[in-house]
Amino acid sequence: MSEVYSVELENIVKRFGNVVAVDHVSLKIKENEFFSLLGPSGCGKTTTLRIIAGLEEPDEGLVKLYGKDVTDVPTHKRNIGMVFQHLALFPHMNVFENIAFGLKMRKLPREEIKREVKKILEIVKLEGLEDRRVNQLSGGQQQRVALARALVINPEVLLLDEPLGALDLKIRQHMMVELKNIQKKVKTTFIYVTHDQTEAMTMSDRIAIMKDGRVQQVDTPLGVYYKPSNMFVASFIGEAVNLIEGEIRENGIVNTSIGTVCCPEQSIIGKVAVMIRPEVVEINEKIHGVDNIFKGVVQAAIFKGSYIEYRVDIGGITFIAHKHGEGSLGKIYQPGATVEIGWKKNSSLIIPIQT
Amino acid sequence: MKVTKSFLKIFTIIVFLFLYSPIIAMLVFSFNESKSLAVFTNFSLKWYEKVITNPDVWRALYNSFWVGAVVTAASLILGLMMAMAVTRYSFTGKTILESFILIPIIIPEIAESLSLMMMYIFLNMPLGPVTVIIGHIAFDISYATVVMRARMVGYDRSIEEAARTLGANELQTFFRITLPTLYPAILAAGLLAFTLSFDDLIKTLFTTGPGFKTLPLVIWSYAARGGVSPELNSLSSFALSISFLFAVFRLRTERRMGR
Repeated sequence: MSEVYSVELENIVKRFGNVVAVDHVSLKIKENEFFSLLGPSGCGKTTTLRIIAGLEEPDEGLVKLYGKDVTDVPTHKRNIGMVFQHLALFPHMNVFENIAFGLKMRKLPREEIKREVKKILEIVKLEGLEDRRVNQLSGGQQQRVALARALVINPEVLLLDEPLGALDLKIRQHMMVELKNIQKKVKTTFIYVTHDQTEAMTMSDRIAIMKDGRVQQVDTPLGVYYKPSNMFVASFIGEAVNLIEGEIRENGIVNTSIGTVCCPEQSIIGKVAVMIRPEVVEINEKIHGVDNIFKGVVQAAIFKGSYIEYRVDIGGITFIAHKHGEGSLGKIYQPGATVEIGWKKNSSLIIPIQT
Repeated sequence: MKVTKSFLKIFTIIVFLFLYSPIIAMLVFSFNESKSLAVFTNFSLKWYEKVITNPDVWRALYNSFWVGAVVTAASLILGLMMAMAVTRYSFTGKTILESFILIPIIIPEIAESLSLMMMYIFLNMPLGPVTVIIGHIAFDISYATVVMRARMVGYDRSIEEAARTLGANELQTFFRITLPTLYPAILAAGLLAFTLSFDDLIKTLFTTGPGFKTLPLVIWSYAARGGVSPELNSLSSFALSISFLFAVFRLRTERRMGR
C-alpha cells in the first residue's frame, strides 16, 4: 500500500516583484502528521502556508490535497482550516457564532451545528463560554476559539500560522502540549508555521527547515538536531553549536586549524565541517578515555540555571561546552583557567560543504 | 498661575456666549407671546402652532427627509466603494483620486453650486428634486468617503481571509464579515451625510426648480419676505432641533467607535 499524503507541493514558486519568496518548494506531508515549517522571518514559510490555503496563487507548481490537484481551486472550496497569526476572530460575533460560521456556510441544520459546536468546545476545553463576546476572553481562550472554529468544519488539513506568537511563555508552553493532544484527538494533519524551534521541536512529527524560500532539510526533530544536512541547519537548530571547518583526507580523521579531529568513519572525502553539540563536550583539568582532547583557556563561565556554559579558547577558536548536573556547581572554572575539553569520536558530526 | 487659569475660564465662557447667545435668544423668543423680538411678555406656543398648521412647512419637511434619505444611501454606497478602493488596492492615479475626493470639501459652496447650476443648464436638465439630489450627492460622497476611509486604514483583512477558509465566497464574506465590522464607520458617515443634506441651503437654492422646497429653503424664503418674526424663530428652532438630534446621535456613535 502506498503512503497517503494529505498535502503535496510540487515545485512551488512564488515571486513578489523581484523577490522570490518561495523557490521551487516540494513537500509531501503525510496524513495525520504534525508537520512544521520552521525558519527565520522572511524565509517563505508563511507564503508556503498561504499557498496551501489558496490565499496566495503560486507562479509555478502544483498544490495537491489528498492527491487531487487544487492549484486553481479557490480557498472557500478547499476544505482546509486555518488559524491565523493574530487569530482573526470575528469581532461582531460571540464564541458560538464564531465557531458556527463555517458550519453555517456549509448549510448544516441548526441542531447539528449546535451539536458540533458543543463537541468541539469540549475538545478545546471552552464549555459554557458560547455566549461570551470574543473580546471578553483571555489570550489563551481566544486561541482555543480560533482553533475550534478551524477544526469544527472537519478540514482535510489544519494550517496554523504562528498561532502562539502573541501568548506569554507559560501559556505558550501549556498550549504546545495541548495542541499536540488535540491533534491526536481529532486525527487531522496539522501544518504549523513558526520561527520558534522549541515549538517545532516539541510538537512536530517532522520539520521542514526553510531559508530564503528554499527547503533546507525535512526530517524528524531528532534528525534535524543530530543529522543536519548543511551548515545553516546545524547553526539554526539548537541553542548553540560548535562548528569547525576542515578537510577529510583519510577515513575518520578531519584536518582542522586546531589539529586532527576524530570522527565516525564514513565515505566522505574533501571539505567538511565538524559539528559538536555543547552538551557532549566534557570539560575538566584532565580528561581521559575520549578520542578528541584539546587544551584551552576559559574565556567565560555563564551560569544558566540547570547548567554552566563555558566558552573556551582553543587555538583561536571559541568552543562552547555545557556542564550539567550537580558536579557543575562544585568547581567553576574562572576565566583564565587552563582546562581540557574532549568528546568521543561518535559525537563529531560531519557536514559536507558544497563548493 | 491662578490668574491665567481663571482668565482662561472667563475667556472660554465669553467665546461660548458669543457662539450660542443668538441661538439661545432665537429659542427663547420662539416661545414669546408678543410679536416683539426685544421684550419677552408671556410664554406661548402659538408660533409653533402656526408653524405646525402650515402645510408648506410639512411639505418642505417631507422633501428634506426623503432627499436626505436618497442622498445618504447613494453617498454611502459610492463612498464605501471609493474608500475600499483607495485603502485596499494600489493602482495608477490613486494619489490623484485621493486628492480629488477632498476637493468638494475645500472649494466654496457658492462656487460649487453655481457650477452645478450651469452644468444643468448646459445639459438642458429641468431643475427639481433630481438635480437637488445629484448636487447633494456630489458633495456628500466626499464626506462619507473621508469618514469611512479613516476607519478602514489598518483594517485587519485576515478576518476576511478567515471567512474564506471557512467556506464563505467573496459575496458572503462581504455581507457577513466586512460590512458588519465596518458598521460603526458606515453609521457615522451616514449620519454626517444626512445632516449635511438636511441643512443645506445654498446648493439647494441654486439647483431646485419651481415648487420644490426643502425646510431650509422655506425658512430662507420667510426671512427674505418679512424679516425676522416669532414664527420664523419657532420654525428655525424646529429645524435646529432635528439637526441637533442627528448631531448628538452621530457624536455618540463616533465616541463608541473610538473605544
